[in-house]
Parts: sequence; C-alpha cells; structure tokens
Amino acid sequence: MKASKKIVIIGHFGVGKTSLIRRFVENTFSEDYQVTIGVHISKKTIEIPEQESISLIIWDLEGQDDLKKTRSSYLLGTNGFIYVFDSSKPLTFENLNSELKFLKENYPNVPVKVVGNKMDLVNKTYLAQYSSVFKPLVDFFVSAKTGSRVESLFSKLAKELI
Amino acid sequence: MNQDEKLSIIKDILLTDEREFVSSIENKIKILENTVNKRDNLSAKVNPIIDEKLKTFIKEIPDTLGPTITEALKEEIKNSKDAVVEALFPILGQMVKRYVQHEMKLLSEKINNQVNNTFSFKRFFRKTKSKASGINESDLILQEQTNTKIEQAIIIEKGSGLVLAEFSKNKMADEDMVAGMLTAIKSFVEDAFKKEGQNLQYIEYDLYHIHLQNFSSFYIAIVVSGAYNIVYKDKLEDKILKFASNQKVISTLKNKSLLTKKLEDFFKNEGI
Repeated sequence: MKASKKIVIIGHFGVGKTSLIRRFVENTFSEDYQVTIGVHISKKTIEIPEQESISLIIWDLEGQDDLKKTRSSYLLGTNGFIYVFDSSKPLTFENLNSELKFLKENYPNVPVKVVGNKMDLVNKTYLAQYSSVFKPLVDFFVSAKTGSRVESLFSKLAKELI
Repeated sequence: MNQDEKLSIIKDILLTDEREFVSSIENKIKILENTVNKRDNLSAKVNPIIDEKLKTFIKEIPDTLGPTITEALKEEIKNSKDAVVEALFPILGQMVKRYVQHEMKLLSEKINNQVNNTFSFKRFFRKTKSKASGINESDLILQEQTNTKIEQAIIIEKGSGLVLAEFSKNKMADEDMVAGMLTAIKSFVEDAFKKEGQNLQYIEYDLYHIHLQNFSSFYIAIVVSGAYNIVYKDKLEDKILKFASNQKVISTLKNKSLLTKKLEDFFKNEGI
C-alpha cells in the first residue's frame, strides 16, 4: 500500500500557490486569477525511482500576509510545507526570515521548501540585487507558467518524506 | 392748443387699435398664467389628454413593446442563469417541501393500511424485532421502505486528514480528497465555534448523509444513502463504537492493510 503525505502550501496572496499546484497536478496554467477561499485539496501520486510510490495530499491554503493568521488546525499533521513567494514582488518575501522562524519553532521536524515562483518575470540582474535574501533561504526558483522546476520541487520534497 | 397737445390727440387717434390689442394680449397672458401656474386648472386642461394617450398606449403595449420586452427578458434570463436559479430556489424549495410532505402523508397512510390490514410472516418478524429492539414498528417499516445503505466508511487521522483505512461498495469519490475536505470542514467549524470538546458530527450532501464519529486520534466518516433518522443514527453510533472496541482499532492504526480488511469485514453487510 502506498504512503500518503500531507503537504501544505503557504504564502502571501497572489504569489501563485494555486497555479503551482495546478501545474504539478494537472500540468495546466491559466492567467485568470481566482482567489482561494479557505482551503482547496488536490492529490497526486508520484513514483520515486527504486522506492514505493507516494500520494501527496496537497492543501492549498488561502493567502495570508502573516503566517500567524493562518488557521492553525489546517496545519496540524503536516508532513511537509512549501512556502511560496512571488520572485518579482519584494513585498511577498520581505518577512521571509520571520515566517520561516515561526514554522521552525512550531513545526520543528517538518521539512520546509522555500520557493520563489514567477521566475519568468525576473532576470539575472534582479536576482543578484536580492541575492542576500535569496541565497541563504530559497530552495527553488520555479515558474508555474512555464512549468520550470515544478516537478523537481515536489519530487525532492517527496523523497525527503519517505 | 399747443404743439404737444395736438401731438397727443394725434397719437390717441392713431394708436387706439394697438392699445386695445396690447390690452387683449395682457388679458390672455393673465388667463394663461392662471392656467399654467395653478395646479387644479392645469390638471383640468391636461389630464383628459394624458388619460386618452395612456389608454391608447396601454392598448398598444402588446403590439409595440411586447416583442422587445420578451426578447430582453429572454436575453436577461439566458445571461443570468445563476441569478434566476438563486431567485427561484426558495420558491421551488417550498414547492418540493410541500410535495414531499404530501408524499410522506400518502406513504404514512400506506404504511398504516399495511400494518392494519395484512398479516404475514414478515409482519410477525417485524413485530418481534420491534418488541426486542424497542424500535417503533412504523420506523422499521420506514427503514425497509427507504432502504438505508452504508456506501463508504473511512477512518481518518485527526489533524492531518490522512486516510488510515477505507472501504466503499461503489467507488464514489477519491477517499483521500474526501478525507481532506471533511477534515478541513471539521477544523473550520470547530475553530469557528471554539467550544472545547465539541465536534462536527454530521454533514448532509445531496442524497448522502455523512456521519462523523470522533475518537481521540482519529475519526470515522460513514457515508450513508437513504433515510438517516435518529433511530438509524443511534444504531450506527453503536455499531461504530463496537467496531472501534472489538476490532482493537487503536492498536492497528499504523497497519493500513489490516485496518482496511477489518473495516471491510465489519461494514460490508448493509444491516446495522
């Protein structure tokens, strides 16, 4: 029997959390922005080479500018977090340090992947400008629009959960 | 007679007609002002004209505006289906409710006739069952008529919403998604009411009733089709408690395949 793991996607409003999940689960992308209210749940089973398959039950939470405002009961029993920010909007990553500190303190043994989405909207000069923030904290830069590195992100997290 | 007096006489002779004309115009203006500025007078003049025009307009509405209004309404309904449904829903709901009440009355009469007029082994067994279980005979007949069935049973880990075991007769929906959503709804409701020790116990979805029974680290969701009444709920609660204690669920929570087997064995029979 395959294992199931609960993955919770968190981050500010409009950073592309739902688009990221849709790209991973359905391999689709839409430019229309529809705000997530409450929580939306998706599922995808992935095969891990030389190991069993794993079902990721992905909880897409509505955006919050402060993680402390998120309904804590939604975070119970989480096996892995994905913290998403919009690479092109500094406002969505200016509190990254304190948000990650909050996660580490409250969910000490749960892996967290920090993801800069919308990579298609920024260039190397821009990334260099914020390298002091990005280098020590960010695990993946992805684009839900182009699909770049979305699969790698979820595969990496899934491997860590087995 | 000096020059000015002579001129005045000539003026009088020459301008008499004009003065009379001006005077008559002044009178007419006064009458007109009287008519226009006084509401009653104006109404007396204008109302008959408006009445006549209105009568004609009303007569001609079906021919002149009818097609335009019909077309506009059709277009509006076509473009606002959701709004129309929203508006009609309470009315339809009332109609359906009245219809169901009427049908229930007929069903009740049918049951009474059945109870009063027939003798059969089935009735004998039902009577015996009623006496033994304490359930009203008519409730037992209602259960027979409405054919309540357990469609799906899921054991769900509290908090994470992950499925610990699942059994379903017909694959209704993905159990992981159902378990996740049920857990999210439960979390939301229980957080919103913020009462210690209170739990969401029941959700109704279309034709299905979702019975939720809470334990310390997990809860069991049973999806039921057909009639779900207080008698059925009590029986189901007892059955779930029996399952949890007899099958030693807590000690097998980590073993998904064994727990699934136990769940299937226990719930595959429809009767409770």
